[in-house]
Amino acid sequence: MSSNGADIATAVRDTIYLASLLQDDEKWAEWLDLCDEDFAYAIKAYSPEIQYDMTYLSGNRKELQSITEMLPKHNTDHSPLTRHTVVYTVDVDEGAGRASAVSSVAVHQTMLDGINSHVDAGESRLFLIGKYYDKFKIADGNVKFAERVVKLNTRRLDKGSHWPI
Amino acid sequence: MPARNAQQWSRPPSGLKPGEYVDSRIYSDNDIFEEELQKIWKKTWIPVCHESELAKPYDFRTMTIAREPIIVVRGSDNRVRAFLNVCPHRGNMIERRPSGSFAEGTPSGNPKRMTCMFHAWQFDMKGNCVFISRQEEGYQDRLCPKDVGLRRLRCEVYFGGFVWVCLDDKVDKTVAEWAAGCLDCLQPSLDAEPLEVFHYHKAIIPCNYKLWHDTNCEFYHDYLHYHNRITGFNDAYFARKNSGFDNGHINVGSFEVQYDKYEGFESRANVSFPSLPPNHWYMIDMFPGANFNLRGSALRCDLMTPLAPDKVLIEFRGLGLKSDSPETRRARVEHHNTIWGPFGRNLHEDLLAVSGQGAAMDSRAEHRHILHGRHENETIHDENGMRHFYDEWGRWMDRSPGNPDQRYREGHNQPGVSA
Ligand code: FES
Ligand SMILES: [Fe+2]
Repeated sequence: MSSNGADIATAVRDTIYLASLLQDDEKWAEWLDLCDEDFAYAIKAYSPEIQYDMTYLSGNRKELQSITEMLPKHNTDHSPLTRHTVVYTVDVDEGAGRASAVSSVAVHQTMLDGINSHVDAGESRLFLIGKYYDKFKIADGNVKFAERVVKLNTRRLDKGSHWPI
Repeated sequence: MPARNAQQWSRPPSGLKPGEYVDSRIYSDNDIFEEELQKIWKKTWIPVCHESELAKPYDFRTMTIAREPIIVVRGSDNRVRAFLNVCPHRGNMIERRPSGSFAEGTPSGNPKRMTCMFHAWQFDMKGNCVFISRQEEGYQDRLCPKDVGLRRLRCEVYFGGFVWVCLDDKVDKTVAEWAAGCLDCLQPSLDAEPLEVFHYHKAIIPCNYKLWHDTNCEFYHDYLHYHNRITGFNDAYFARKNSGFDNGHINVGSFEVQYDKYEGFESRANVSFPSLPPNHWYMIDMFPGANFNLRGSALRCDLMTPLAPDKVLIEFRGLGLKSDSPETRRARVEHHNTIWGPFGRNLHEDLLAVSGQGAAMDSRAEHRHILHGRHENETIHDENGMRHFYDEWGRWMDRSPGNPDQRYREGHNQPGVSA
């Protein structure tokens, strides 16, 4: 890899970590600013019960913007989600202006108002585990998310969530 | 009336009659819960999965009803049969996977057999024991395979391919008779061609199973959902009928959903089901706890397994047509998941609300009344669906839902009380 390629790989990693921080802080607009206009997002899981590759949520950038802007109008579990993300691999195709990365992610939920706050608030629980399969567009040294597929291992999601993972 | 003191709080509101409220103990009391498993869940037809989940001969699915492990298998004759998933030898659970195929052998057994891995007894797809390891050496002529078949269960495939199981050998009705007409509104749509499950996820929720069923039966909670608040309320919506059928089942009749008024949603008119006008919506709630919900493009089905008075497993499925093109399937999946998926808009709100009910109904908390007293000409915000359910519940339990210490006839079914 050229030194430029190494820089891009670092920028890819930084972008993934920054995305996790922004999502943890529920800064959805800033998170979407890391994404290309043609960004595509999906949460998927394979079900051994029905032996089917499932899609639990999907949307383009505009749809995600609409979903996240609507959040204050929903009744929601406000227990914060915290992503523990580790980037495993980054592949850069400099010529094509593309990169891809695979990360492991574990999301913990720190209870706030989901059940009985007097008893549960403050307790952290494992919410889900999975992997991020990310694709990036690189232009002028800028790295933007072109696609994120969250592949969940967890399929018992209990109350679920209104928030993108 | 101002806030009430303890004595006033313990009485139902004076304007409501028995049948228009229930006692919170029916959602929290452990003895009542155990009794429900015996008297209701082991006696009635329970849908357990869809036949597309065991599409080929030797495919199987496992589940539980009222703590009994169950296996559903498809035989070489293509027939779907159900058995207790319990080995007649030393009581091991025979199959541990959620789904799979017996076409291949297992470490302890041969192909085309259900094999108990413990001591390798083998069973065919009809539940006959066909092999006992070292039979003669150990049992001489005292025991032979025909004495140790599996426990077979009543099983039917009915209503768009759903698999129904009843633990009671003596159940006197077919599924169709048990449904008593409540499935008719969707039968032409679901029976026209084979269906396929495209969505499955599960939730274990800290509330009584009936609270989830109630939420599926009442639409007054439109106020919980943003999309329903902003789009639902017009004359056609409020005219939707909420009708009861024998055996405690209900329907909520169709109306046209105006998806183009939903922020961020498009009309779903281009994807539908056979015989279903575009964007129409039917809901069926079956006693004691199954829900079928066909909303234009996607069929949702909730199946419940009560685990404890304050704990229920809910399995959520989404179904389309087996013949769907990839594009149609994508549309169905998206329509289903934006509202009903684990990251959808409405399901999370519904589950939050029943979790809140569960948190306020600890079995050791003081009991209180839960009100089901709205009368709106049996239309959408009437609470007749829940009253109908609890009238049936009272009959099966021989307890009054409004005061479970009283027999059904003493408490609930008084003259002048309509369900
Ligand atoms: S317990 Fe099944 S073979 Fe022994
Ligand atoms: Fe709802």
